Amino acid sequence: MNRLLLIDDEPDILRVLSRSLRADGYEVLTAENGKEGLAVFQKERPAIILTDIKMPGMDGIEVLKAVKKKDEDAEVIIITGHGDIDNAIEALKYGASDFINKPIRDEALSLALKRAEEKIRIREQLREYTVNLEKKVEEATRELRRKTNFMAKLIRSSNDGIIATDNHFTVVLFNPSAERIFGYRAEEVVDRMPAKSIIPKEVIESFRDESTGDDQRAELPWQETTIPIKDGSRIPVRFAGTLLHEKDQVVGSVAFFQDLREIKRLEKEVVHVERLAAVGETVAGLAHGIKNILHGLKGGSYLVDIGIENENPDKLKTGWEMVQRNIGRTADLVLDMLNYAKEREPEYEACRPNEIVEDVASLVAEKAERNAVSISLELDPEVGEAVMDPRTIHRVMLNLASNAVDACIFDKNTGKQWQVRMTTARIGDDMVRFAVSDNGSGMSDEVKKTLFTSFYSTKGHRGTGLGLLVTRKLVEEHGGRIDVESTLDQGTTFTVHLPERPADDEFLEEDKPQFRGEEESK
Amino acid sequence: MSKKVLVVDDDPDVRLFTVTVLEQHGYTPLEATNGEEGKQMIKDAAPDLVILDVLMPRESGVRLYREIKTDKKLRDLPVVILSGIAEKSFLRSQKALTEFGGEPVPEPECYLEKPVEAEDLIQAIQKILG
Repeated sequence: MNRLLLIDDEPDILRVLSRSLRADGYEVLTAENGKEGLAVFQKERPAIILTDIKMPGMDGIEVLKAVKKKDEDAEVIIITGHGDIDNAIEALKYGASDFINKPIRDEALSLALKRAEEKIRIREQLREYTVNLEKKVEEATRELRRKTNFMAKLIRSSNDGIIATDNHFTVVLFNPSAERIFGYRAEEVVDRMPAKSIIPKEVIESFRDESTGDDQRAELPWQETTIPIKDGSRIPVRFAGTLLHEKDQVVGSVAFFQDLREIKRLEKEVVHVERLAAVGETVAGLAHGIKNILHGLKGGSYLVDIGIENENPDKLKTGWEMVQRNIGRTADLVLDMLNYAKEREPEYEACRPNEIVEDVASLVAEKAERNAVSISLELDPEVGEAVMDPRTIHRVMLNLASNAVDACIFDKNTGKQWQVRMTTARIGDDMVRFAVSDNGSGMSDEVKKTLFTSFYSTKGHRGTGLGLLVTRKLVEEHGGRIDVESTLDQGTTFTVHLPERPADDEFLEEDKPQFRGEEESK
Repeated sequence: MSKKVLVVDDDPDVRLFTVTVLEQHGYTPLEATNGEEGKQMIKDAAPDLVILDVLMPRESGVRLYREIKTDKKLRDLPVVILSGIAEKSFLRSQKALTEFGGEPVPEPECYLEKPVEAEDLIQAIQKILG
């Protein structure tokens, strides 16, 4: 409903005009002077005011000023006398929206009103937009804040250590888990330390490689390594990372670290428990072997008794040898069990693996010869001297070599030329590969499956069932790997990769964290 | 003429012991180191009794035992099992083999678990051979 206020000191004009405006659908309020007009405006707040300019007392300009003071948005149309252009201009200066001349023509009036209404409508629309916009900005800001808080909380409470850097690889973010893993406080690190003093070289380098690469979205997949931490020790971690891009520019990087100390400890524990379980299983399986040994001891003492009784030195000697042999078997069995059950750190020293293999070959040579098995060696001179545990090499190779000879002795195919081959080869700078092959009985898939996992002996009374378990344990303690390939009736090859002294120890010597000295002087 | 006893065992210590026990008590010992050899020896030398180990490379005692007990001509040849394997386990394995489609075989004349005393061994042999 459009309401307007009409102010004129001439009652006739007031009457005629208001009648015509009402006929056009307006609700018309009237006043005969400025003062009265202002009072009506105050009370009713019409959106449009039509006022005569020349009135006794308060004139149109003063009405205009007073209205505008009260309501900036009120539309005031000034009615001027014919040719009174100066007053009209002054009125416009004070914010009148329009003016019309007397005598008032209907067209001019309705045009002026329409323009005023349009202005009001646009202004209202604008106000609505503005209010809406403010609301939307506020909502968006709130959402953004919520998300930022959420992200910050995520980063803070993440169990992964998160380290972010700028494009110069200076640390800009170091979350509490990173503090826990690396041992530095965020204040010591953020904006102060280059990433390279905390993050291991190889990680940084892989980032650098990525940043020069063509693939903008290249990410470092999860991998395991060990890293030095503040106190100088090294801990195992898994890490992954990614470069942060904005348009085509690298703007920073972020890396995630997972502390594997606990996991590694548990893994070790599990291995130990499994081994004890295997020993338990073995004890059950060993009953047979132990009975055989006992039988041998009883048999031996029987022969000794007979020898004494009959004063027969031959019997006495044979019996005594039998007792001794079975004491030896007992010792082997007990030592195997002890070796398997207990943990042992390799004792690294410079040694010549090829010479150890030659020793082993000479140890099994006699037994091999007796059973028509030939032994050949193929030793890589490149192997030379290596920092390894010579006892590990000796025991592993002796075990595999005597297994290989046994595999030939047990072979049903007596038409074969039985052979055992022992080889060495240098692999890279810090790895030696040992292999023992035979063309004996070979193994079925079933036997292969249980080979390294638990007590298993295919040798009847001769085997303790522990030999390969001990062998694998020794190889693993040395940080190496053992593999087997075998075909039934064709033969078997065991391959052992042993690394020279693992990287762990040497790293400590040359790559202490830079902040260590400072820490100590505090 | 003294009775012939065949000892089938892959462990030389066991053979030496058993052979000595047999000699001490007037029997004629024969030796075989695996099932295959044992089978041949039974054919060639016709022993009066077989002392048989169960776990051996190249034809096990289990197989030789079943061959003896399912052979019409050999069925009555008495067998003493001398093994580190418990009697229960041996009988269970025989039962399983029979269910698997084999011919049922009688239990051995005597079952001795290692380690065995010389007296127990000789008593068992004398009981069977009289």
